[in-house]
Amino acid sequence: MADDGGPTVPVETRLKDLRVSELPVMITARIVTVMRKEVVRRSDGGRRPVLSGLLSDGTATVRFTWWDPPREEIDRGTVIRAAPVSVGEFQGRVELTFGWKTRVQPASEAELPLLRPEELPRRLVRELAVHEEGFILEARVAEVEPKTVTVGTERRQIHQGLLADGTGVVAFTAWTDFRLRAGEAVRLTGVYVRSFRGRAQLVLDERTHVERVSGEGLPLPGAGFGTETTLMGVLAEGSGSERATVVGRALALQPPSGLVMRCPSCQRILKEGACRIHGSVTGNPDLRLRLALDDGTGVVTVNLDRADVERLTGHTLEMCLATLRDRPDPSIIEAELFQTLFGRRFRARGAVRRDDFGLSMNPTEVLAEPLDLARAEELLRARLPGSGR
Amino acid sequence: MTGREVAWRVLAQEYLASVEEERGEGDKMASYLLSPLGARMNRVLMVGTLGPAEPVGQDPAQPFWRARLVDATGTVTVTAGSYQPRALTAIQGFRTSQPALVVGKAQLFRGRDGSATPTLRAEEIRSLVAGERRELEIEAVASTLDRIGLVQRLRRDPGPGVAPTPGDLTTAVSAARTAIEKYPHSDPERFRESLLPLVVPGDPRATPASAVPPPTKVVRRVDPAPAPTLPRAHHAQESLLLDLLDELSEASEDGYADLKEALSRAAARGLSEVRVEELLGRLEEDGVLEEPIVGKVRRA
Repeated sequence: MADDGGPTVPVETRLKDLRVSELPVMITARIVTVMRKEVVRRSDGGRRPVLSGLLSDGTATVRFTWWDPPREEIDRGTVIRAAPVSVGEFQGRVELTFGWKTRVQPASEAELPLLRPEELPRRLVRELAVHEEGFILEARVAEVEPKTVTVGTERRQIHQGLLADGTGVVAFTAWTDFRLRAGEAVRLTGVYVRSFRGRAQLVLDERTHVERVSGEGLPLPGAGFGTETTLMGVLAEGSGSERATVVGRALALQPPSGLVMRCPSCQRILKEGACRIHGSVTGNPDLRLRLALDDGTGVVTVNLDRADVERLTGHTLEMCLATLRDRPDPSIIEAELFQTLFGRRFRARGAVRRDDFGLSMNPTEVLAEPLDLARAEELLRARLPGSGR
Repeated sequence: MTGREVAWRVLAQEYLASVEEERGEGDKMASYLLSPLGARMNRVLMVGTLGPAEPVGQDPAQPFWRARLVDATGTVTVTAGSYQPRALTAIQGFRTSQPALVVGKAQLFRGRDGSATPTLRAEEIRSLVAGERRELEIEAVASTLDRIGLVQRLRRDPGPGVAPTPGDLTTAVSAARTAIEKYPHSDPERFRESLLPLVVPGDPRATPASAVPPPTKVVRRVDPAPAPTLPRAHHAQESLLLDLLDELSEASEDGYADLKEALSRAAARGLSEVRVEELLGRLEEDGVLEEPIVGKVRRA
């Protein structure tokens, strides 16, 4: 320790161990993304260059800001060592700032923190948190297929698919070909979790290590991945799901629900007779419901299209239009549709999106499913010994 | 992430035992009622026998109705007002008692004497057929058992080292920990016992011969708690107060006894204000009296 009052030597710190502190640190990390900007000084209107982006050392990914960087381009993928670096916080996440005192040098791959697998925590699919890395995931490849994408001017082949363990299903994009095959069980390290369409997605790239494992404890190949019922509360604590099945009771409708008018060109729902894109048009009537299913631990809003609505409520579009002619108040239709659903138990399956409005699902399947009373009574008796005597 | 609040499946006993409030701050923040078993309730789903409903209050521009919801563990007051038009229409339809499902907001009604009673402000009400009622009852019992199990496990091993099973939600665990802290003397076992009458005995053919229950008295019922016996003097004071209130309500236009008037008349007959408050509190608790409008009392 610097008891002598001399200058403190920055301590080399792994990114996942960073804590907000007065003491500057030394870090070694790879530049994952980088962008050059200019910030206008308020006082004199002078321009000050700044680089910002994400740094990763395999244990965590953090945002960095580099004031007055060198003029030459800094490429993505470059490994750097920097000290002294100050550690701050923005919106609850740790951030690094390089100032005029900071010395930044190129470093080599080998200087990145050595990650011993036994040091890394195990994660289950349902525990994956957006922006997380530095963990081990064991899962079975449920699906995989190649796809060609254009990145800038370059055409690249990637592999997309789904990974599953007993707790959930997550999509992945592999930028490197790991020759993954559907059905095989793998142990992954060096993967990154990003958010895509309101759910977690895994990114596999040149930093990723794939090991084939026996797959003990994982769902069997060919299992109906994502068909086991997941508690909504579990989904609420996770990062969305690529494929999940929920069972809950219909307790409310969220707007817009009921009879809607759609734009004949783009199918968007009209508001006050106008389409957001095509302006004032004559709409086509349609039925849709945003049904809030609730299982006592959470809520998932399930989007039902006309076919679902007609099948589940027994009210057809024609019946609803006839009602509207008799009693020209669309809210009556909404109420009538809701009355047929309120309190009933439904099973729904599909991708679950998580955003500021909670959880929502565009289901591939929805069906009414009353509780199996005989089975439920039996389970209850087993849980309450001493009852029924 | 915000979004719609979940509807907790609770039975009357647990609901009525919930007196710890977590008040939301600001305009949009939700409030919660915390049960001794760790249900952190903004919204609840309850099932029981509802009705008959009756109007409360005299202002025709502000209709407000009320009914009792009875399940095997207790009785909860369900209300609906003009801000819940659908629930209001529905509750007005309950002229006689029938099985019903009520979804609504958890509320804590504070009496004048400082006592707090949870009531349920209905959002949606629907009558049920027998099978549906049973489905919801089973869900409520199972959900209560989940909470009892979690609270008991955390009580046995309160340390941060306790490993909740993968099925335990972190929100449920933290609510259960708070419940243990706020209700140090609550006994989860008491709640478990009250669930027994809600479990239907199994098919006797499925159980071994020695365990076949006798054909009669198969369903166990919980006896109502014996009424506390009061000294004779208390009875006298109680009937004096009730007579007084009856007199006042008969004389008044709206059918309510004015509380101030009642207090001054009681004082004239030697009943102190503190004593009257005490009696009123007990009579309201026993369901003899009610005070739907502050300062106005009548027979329930």
